[in-house]
Amino acid sequence: MKTIIEKYNVTLMRLTEDKIEMVRKWRNDPKIVQYMNYKEYITPEMQQKWFQRINNNNNYFFIIIYDKKEIGLINIRDIDYEKKEGEGGIFIYDDEYLDSDVPFRAALCLTDFCFEELCLKKIKAHILNNNKRAIEFNTFLGFKIAENQENVKNQLYTLIPDDYYIIRDKIIKLF
Amino acid sequence: MDLIDFIKNLASVFEDTNPSNLTPETRFRDIEGWSSLIALSIIAMADEVYGVKLKGDDIRKAITVQDLYEIIKSRI
Repeated sequence: MKTIIEKYNVTLMRLTEDKIEMVRKWRNDPKIVQYMNYKEYITPEMQQKWFQRINNNNNYFFIIIYDKKEIGLINIRDIDYEKKEGEGGIFIYDDEYLDSDVPFRAALCLTDFCFEELCLKKIKAHILNNNKRAIEFNTFLGFKIAENQENVKNQLYTLIPDDYYIIRDKIIKLF
Repeated sequence: MDLIDFIKNLASVFEDTNPSNLTPETRFRDIEGWSSLIALSIIAMADEVYGVKLKGDDIRKAITVQDLYEIIKSRI
């Protein structure tokens, strides 16, 4: 099981049990909750159950580390190895790095891992239709909105390798 | 490198931002629409227009439009 990925000057460290309380605090912060589909308060018990559910090869949750600081969480979850697809997600807790190049570094790091090591053929992402930043961020990475999402609040986007690599190679030149 | 031209180029990175609304003292992170994508677009603009490699750390350290201008100007 992959535990650490280092690329594009960012480190992704697989989520371990000793970090789930920190992540729970991040996740319960209103600045993060506002963009999440699930908005209920998460208790330590809920977090513990969640961790037991995701700590396996079908889910990869990583702490994003930049400048030796733990700044956010990124994931590929609900991986279907037969369909070769999974659901991606990211949030940056540290405001210093929220609107910077670092989220792109982390996203490229995880997406490379998904396509090149997990051999996925599609990454899905659900984005609330009022989350303009996330929509722009994902669209820039090559995600495309799925069909019939116009009247859906939590809209489905998908990314395939061919679309991703064109964009990735342009972004890498800027790092 | 001219500050007025730089402000025009910077404004072009933002959606719906009139260059006349930007001054050297403008704190660029306060401009509506500021995002990680805009940060990346400024790096791209510096590269394409001025041939300057701007780092994410440069943008994080800069506060005003003038700060960004000075960083780029110093590397031309």
